[in-house]
Amino acid sequence: MRARSIISTEGSGARINVTPMIDVVMVLIVFYLLVGQLAIDRKAAIALPSSSTGITQTQDQDPIIIGINIEGALTINGQAIERDRFAGEITGMHTRSPSTPMRVRAHRDAPYGVVRPIMHQLREAGVSQVELMTEQGS
Amino acid sequence: MSEHAPTTDAPTTNTASDSEYKRPRPLKRRNVLDRGSRFGPNMTPMVDVTLVILIFFMASATIAGPEWFLRAQLPAKEDPDAIASDFALPTPMLSAELFLQDSQPDQIMVRGIGSAPRSLDSVIEQIRSMDESAAAGLVLGIRSTDEVPYWAVVKLHDAGASVSMRVAIR
Repeated sequence: MRARSIISTEGSGARINVTPMIDVVMVLIVFYLLVGQLAIDRKAAIALPSSSTGITQTQDQDPIIIGINIEGALTINGQAIERDRFAGEITGMHTRSPSTPMRVRAHRDAPYGVVRPIMHQLREAGVSQVELMTEQGS
Repeated sequence: MSEHAPTTDAPTTNTASDSEYKRPRPLKRRNVLDRGSRFGPNMTPMVDVTLVILIFFMASATIAGPEWFLRAQLPAKEDPDAIASDFALPTPMLSAELFLQDSQPDQIMVRGIGSAPRSLDSVIEQIRSMDESAAAGLVLGIRSTDEVPYWAVVKLHDAGASVSMRVAIR
């Protein structure tokens, strides 16, 4: 078995071995895809409140993540949504999959006046339980 | 040495250095299987990939951050006395309402627990000092006025959850 070389001198002319470059480029592409997916619900730059207790168990189903920033702007799974469309959207999602957990990521300094209407709309949509995302802390 | 031997018409000044010139040896190429010194697969690509995966998980753990969640019930009925009836068994209810005294953001008060409104910190301290076996059968209902920051609601929720209370927010 012959050893691979960066520049092959076999044949008529020298050729550059592009395999390592493709390897590195593929790794970079996969890395940015995954990091982008992980960061998708962080686009609204929501600082979470902290709590000393919490649940970290993973669900079988991916939760529906509702983001509420300090001004009350809403996202569902990282996608911005208008307030007047929120109720219809969340009702449809809950009707299609009633067992899917709802997670609320609200900014810690948001006044409760912007959070309460969302809780009310979730309740109206038939959601009986929500999960309030927090940061681990005291 | 004979290749660089001086000719009659060549300058004689650099003859000694030319004769001592040696072409540098090229860098030794790595072999996938170096028959001379070792036998077996080349571990370098595996180490490369392992390091990349390690860095990826370290970076993603930093980005994702340590997060968890508190579970809260959303009772359907607005009547505070009826909230507990949404659960399977009748459950004693603590109903707390947060508000700001004199609209000061640093004076978050709680009414409904005790005879008079008290500061959020003292209510949290009281809840945390409860016996967990007794508190586990309680439901803490939380409501709040609009101007209270969300973190205060979560802080009270956290206190209830720390002694195994079920928490309903409105």
